[in-house]
Amino acid sequence: MKTIIITKGIEYRWLRDIFPGRHPLLVTLCNKPFIEFLIDFCILAGSTGIRIISDEVMSDVEKHCENGSRWGVEISYANLLPTDNVQKVIEKNSRFCSNERVMVINGLLFIHYDKRSDYRSFFASLPVGEVIECSNGNISLTGAASGAEHQEGAPPLSLPVVDGIDKYYRLAAGILHERLTHYVLPGYNNEPDCFIGRNVVLQKGVSVIKPVIIGNNVQILAGSIIGPGAIIGSNVIIDRESRVSESIVMDNTFIGEQLDVDRKIAEGSLLIDPESGCSLTMEDPHLLSGIKQPTTTGSALQWLAHRIAAAWMIMILLVPYLVIKPFLEWSGLLKTKKIVYHSVIPGENVSLTFASIEKKSVLGTIALFLSLDRFTWLFKVLNGHFALIGCRPVRTDQTIQAANNNLGLYRPGVFSYSEAEKWPENDIDSDIVDHYYAVHSNFIKDISMTQKALFNRINQESSI
Amino acid sequence: MIFQLDTSTKKTIGIAALQVRIDANNCNDLKKAFSHWLHYSPNIVFDCSGLEFIDSSGLGAIVSCLRRALELQGDLRLAGLGPKVSLIFELTKAKQLFSMYPDTSSAVASFSTVGSA
Repeated sequence: MKTIIITKGIEYRWLRDIFPGRHPLLVTLCNKPFIEFLIDFCILAGSTGIRIISDEVMSDVEKHCENGSRWGVEISYANLLPTDNVQKVIEKNSRFCSNERVMVINGLLFIHYDKRSDYRSFFASLPVGEVIECSNGNISLTGAASGAEHQEGAPPLSLPVVDGIDKYYRLAAGILHERLTHYVLPGYNNEPDCFIGRNVVLQKGVSVIKPVIIGNNVQILAGSIIGPGAIIGSNVIIDRESRVSESIVMDNTFIGEQLDVDRKIAEGSLLIDPESGCSLTMEDPHLLSGIKQPTTTGSALQWLAHRIAAAWMIMILLVPYLVIKPFLEWSGLLKTKKIVYHSVIPGENVSLTFASIEKKSVLGTIALFLSLDRFTWLFKVLNGHFALIGCRPVRTDQTIQAANNNLGLYRPGVFSYSEAEKWPENDIDSDIVDHYYAVHSNFIKDISMTQKALFNRINQESSI
Repeated sequence: MIFQLDTSTKKTIGIAALQVRIDANNCNDLKKAFSHWLHYSPNIVFDCSGLEFIDSSGLGAIVSCLRRALELQGDLRLAGLGPKVSLIFELTKAKQLFSMYPDTSSAVASFSTVGSA
């Protein structure tokens, strides 16, 4: 059997609003991402191939699940249009489905199942059609049944509706209190109702009251009380003498000392009361704050390479810029205006002089050849607001594409990846190119793309 | 911050309406004003219905006000706390220190019933 998982952005908008910066399929429930629960279920149901289909960017999901070898299944990815229905999706993925039995999980569903039950023969024996549904979506089957008979009664299977933070909280609490044995959850589980991850430091006087789930790289400082009913994510610090009970502390969160987190969800500096839906962003970092993940070596190297290259270009171009610019201005070939763009630093803007040079004379040609219209932008690379090459900068009167913004892929550059490629004919093409390289760039690729962008600009008629 | 006196319960109760935000920038103003209000009555109600944000400095200032009221055999009671501000009081366990009421009239009435100073 094969499985198609269809998710549409509109279905999980609420998750994006509450947990920005991560794909909703990677939002954790009891420290396990949503998508992993789905994959586990597909495997239990006898799937050997899973295709995850969405109308949004799934680069983070792809990075997380890769090709599925971790689970021993083949995972592939595909896109759909927001208007596509299930039938259309099956048609578009007919090669994947071939003539096999296909289970279609339509919607961002959480499935209540029990890992000890036999779903394989159950799903193989069911007739074509809908198996189960809820207001979030449904599970259906296509393709002929194998003919094998399911001997036992129907295994436990239900679809709880998860469409708000209160339901998310209740679902997590329900699993922790009643269904811990139904799922494969991360962490060591030497005794019932207690899952503890790697590199967990419990200082003197810490009490852990079951049921509890603790993620990886967690420090719980002296005198704290964790549980009952606490779900602590990974990379969390709980300062001394604090109490966390019946609460969820999401990944990368710091809980200050002597605090009482009861029936809450803490996500970075955001504290949510799931019952009322009220949320508060803390301004006191010693009470509640996010823990920043260290920049990866590759990323730091990439930024260093950009800065060195920008400094080198400034040195080379300074004299030509000072000599040629007055002549261009005098001859009317250079027109400038100030434009404010979104910076790479979230929430900050950067004001730049947008210069357009016409290639009507030798001087204009030389100026364009040397990219003097972008000369002043190079200084913004040095102060970290811009990359040397990246996506096209977005003006502050326009909004950054949600996908780029949420996934931290907005990295405006002095030169854009779309300038390095010759084929983009319109803004949509350029967005595709920019987005592709934003996901797949590294510093070596950036060097070659910068060279290509500089080379392509020589052939431009004007810099506009 | 608007301060007024209420004598409807045969006791003089001070009612102070707190501003939208109490943080490090204005917590000292609250402390100074509170010293002044204590001259009129050691029993004071903070009307928090307009309070939308409080940080740890602001919370410290309110706890300090409570301590000073208690020193004068009075009390400081809170009325009309919004859900966001309640979250802070809950998180920091400050909720356990204060008597809280849904509105100022019930907070004022409480001084003439249980726990009145």
